[in-house]
Amino acid sequence: MKKFSQLALPYIIWAVFMLVLPMGLIGLYSVMEHGNSIISFSFTLEHYVKFFTDPDFLLILWRSLLIAVKTTLICLLLGYPVAYFIAKSKEKVQNALILCITLPMWINMLVRTYAWIGMLSEGGLIQKVLQIFGLGNTDLLYTEGAVLLGMVYNFLPFMILQIQTSLSKMDNSLLEASADLGASPIQTFRRITLPLSLPGVINGITLVFLPAVSSFFIPKLLGGGRYFLIGNMIENQFITVGEWNFGSAISMIMAVIMMLLMMVVRKVEIRNQGGKEE
Amino acid sequence: MQNKGKRPFGKVLMVLMIIFFYLPIAYMIIFSFNDGKSLTSFTGFSLRWYQHMLESQDMKEALYTTFSVAILATVISTIAGTIAAIGLSKSKKVIRNLMDQVNNLPMMNPEIVTAIGFMLLFITFKVEKGYMTMLLAHVAFCIPYVMLSVMPKIKQLDPNLADAAMDLGATPWQALRKVIVPQIMPGIISGGLIAFTMSIDDFIISYFVTGGGVKNLSIIVYTMSKRVNPSINAISTCMVLIITFMLLVINLAPVLSAKRRKKEEIKKRRILPGILVTAAAVLLVVFVKFGGSKEERPFEGQTLHIYNWGEYTGENIIADFEKETGATVIQENFDSNEQMYIKVANKEPYDLLVPSDYMIERLIQEDLLQKLDHSKLTCMDKLADAVKGLPYDPDNEYSVPYFWGTVGIVYDKTKVDIKDLEEEGFGIFLDEKYKGDVYLYDSERDSFMMALKALGYSMNTTDEQEIQEAYEWLVQCVETMDTEIVTDEIIDNMAQGRKALGLIYSGDATYVMDENENMRYYMPKTGTNLWSDAMVIPKNAKNPELAHAFINYASDYAGAYDNSSYVGYTSANKEVMDDIYGEGGDYEGIDAYIPRIDNPKDEVFVYNEDMKKIMGDLWSRVKIAASNAD
Repeated sequence: MKKFSQLALPYIIWAVFMLVLPMGLIGLYSVMEHGNSIISFSFTLEHYVKFFTDPDFLLILWRSLLIAVKTTLICLLLGYPVAYFIAKSKEKVQNALILCITLPMWINMLVRTYAWIGMLSEGGLIQKVLQIFGLGNTDLLYTEGAVLLGMVYNFLPFMILQIQTSLSKMDNSLLEASADLGASPIQTFRRITLPLSLPGVINGITLVFLPAVSSFFIPKLLGGGRYFLIGNMIENQFITVGEWNFGSAISMIMAVIMMLLMMVVRKVEIRNQGGKEE
Repeated sequence: MQNKGKRPFGKVLMVLMIIFFYLPIAYMIIFSFNDGKSLTSFTGFSLRWYQHMLESQDMKEALYTTFSVAILATVISTIAGTIAAIGLSKSKKVIRNLMDQVNNLPMMNPEIVTAIGFMLLFITFKVEKGYMTMLLAHVAFCIPYVMLSVMPKIKQLDPNLADAAMDLGATPWQALRKVIVPQIMPGIISGGLIAFTMSIDDFIISYFVTGGGVKNLSIIVYTMSKRVNPSINAISTCMVLIITFMLLVINLAPVLSAKRRKKEEIKKRRILPGILVTAAAVLLVVFVKFGGSKEERPFEGQTLHIYNWGEYTGENIIADFEKETGATVIQENFDSNEQMYIKVANKEPYDLLVPSDYMIERLIQEDLLQKLDHSKLTCMDKLADAVKGLPYDPDNEYSVPYFWGTVGIVYDKTKVDIKDLEEEGFGIFLDEKYKGDVYLYDSERDSFMMALKALGYSMNTTDEQEIQEAYEWLVQCVETMDTEIVTDEIIDNMAQGRKALGLIYSGDATYVMDENENMRYYMPKTGTNLWSDAMVIPKNAKNPELAHAFINYASDYAGAYDNSSYVGYTSANKEVMDDIYGEGGDYEGIDAYIPRIDNPKDEVFVYNEDMKKIMGDLWSRVKIAASNAD
């Protein structure tokens, strides 16, 4: 049995180089005085101070988190019923539906986002449809709604697939048992289905929230440069401004915030599971 | 029983969901057959974008990179991830927990953070960025996802299963292969699918770790999408077809083989689609890589690395140049001078760059360019005088002009009164009559140029008071005018007539006016920016000889005509410029095409590092003010 544990060794070495070291480098760059070379290292916290003393930067951070939260909530509300329906279908139908959900994910995300520009812009499809319902000439493109729509569109499949996976793993006899013991469908859902699907929900939240927070091309394409989010700010520092140290500091701040948030989410998950087993 | 009651609701939901997911895709497919360039109105059926796609080496290579990276990354990460997951499940708890944390890094971190980590890693260890770095990064971020989906399956396994197998005489390898792997197969498959999806769709990480002209589809789209290019739709439609085909094969193959052999071994059905997918991939590779034929020519087998603006070369110039010289051209695109500067300053090897005036000045100052060998240049006499000997390179020691023009206001003559423009100049951007109907251009230099010129100052001012005034002018503009700050999206949007006016480069205005007859171009009398982009050769160029050949080729009539007529920017070649503007030319009578050279208030940008920093900082504050204005 122990023999198998050796299988992990190459990966551990790889992970140290490819996953741990890059984070270390970001950390290192973020506390370095200006300059893109680590040979002439001198310690400073000025980049962090710069970020936290500027209300504008803090506002961008707040706005990025807010839009990611909104995206995640919408995805959860839409995704859960869809996943539930898929999981309850016959196996063949289930496979076909999953195929339907996954197929768009394989078409380039940027291209799909790009298609929305045509649909949302003035004189585009969506506006024409809205006009039929008498909803005049509302601006659709380059609004927060457009950014939100783009994010939901791109990230919803992650949520659906995660929840569906955990729902379909569920043992159906549990539901029958619950019904036999006199639980109403709602009770069964609340007491059995929901807790059992929670790992999927948590994974779904993670898979939606993270890309939503750091996305920079969706706000750029659908927000028309007006929705400057934290991802845009980091991209800017590295690609156009060339302030790698400040960019690294922002990245570190983001990474730490994410870690903290995810720890909270995991705690919720663990507590729920702990409660169930009693 | 309860299920039946829920079905109608579920079905409606599913149908809506599928419409939601597929509508943009259908839209994209339909518009890939559009005759016109518009993304909102279908003007007729045509295959021109497919033809365009097939002619574009860039797109074919991107398709190849996307698929080959995705397939390789999926295979490698699925195998490695499964092995690692099995190994870890039998490791000590401390190690397991620790590795869980490590694996969480790319999953729990925003993708952009992971991307930057990889980028810094490769740069620190001086790994040349390109295909390998992209593949490595993809494998690295895919493995944790594979493990995430395999781990739960392993946990569900009875820990005694493998022991039992080995007690019965199986070797550990056999136990692994015959007992463990089949049991966790669903996890492995879904892990592999996630890896493939992640890789094929990845943009952020690829964007930061690639180099040397290696681009996947996402990067192509990102660098191209600002200017409408419906061949993106064409290539995406092809991708939809390829993927649908692959999925059909994967899903139908088991059904077919099951029919043939009823319930034989399950193994078989995994091999067949594997073979088919691999075969398809190999075919694709062969098609892309060895599609061309080869003959003997002066630069046979040599490579030219060009770093140019996106959508800045003609349709045929690269292919023609390759045909004539036998060289291979690898063109990488940037969308700002600063983006280009960072790569050049980091010594990425290019043979030819096409930066703008002030940036050339900076590159010369920092000793990053080499002097041109004028004995090898045959093109200097053909260029317009007004674009030669400009302050950034007075004797053209380093640079040969490529495109040039002005910055001005593009406006819809049916919505904007020309009198307002003549009276107010750039001040029209503060005129609330046009509130909600204006585009600003997302460039600190051009925006400050506009503000400074509106206030009557020099755009090269170093007076902080004047800069501060210009900043306030811009803030007032975004706060009161409900502006949209765009980059090259302005081109399509104005061609569609979506707003009344916007700040634009003359070359883009030419294109807009060509597409939409209501559009006009205006240069305020208070002066504007007279800019030029020129070809230069960096110090560390590997093939300056070939770069000189390209400079000549791009400046000669045929090359310059192709460039200018396709892109819409004004050619530096005098004859080409006259022909394109003149009778029967591509842009006959479109005044934006001819730069204004007789207004003494027009200026050329001068490089000043301090001012650039100040403006850069202030401009990001203007943008923040703009987002807060909503």
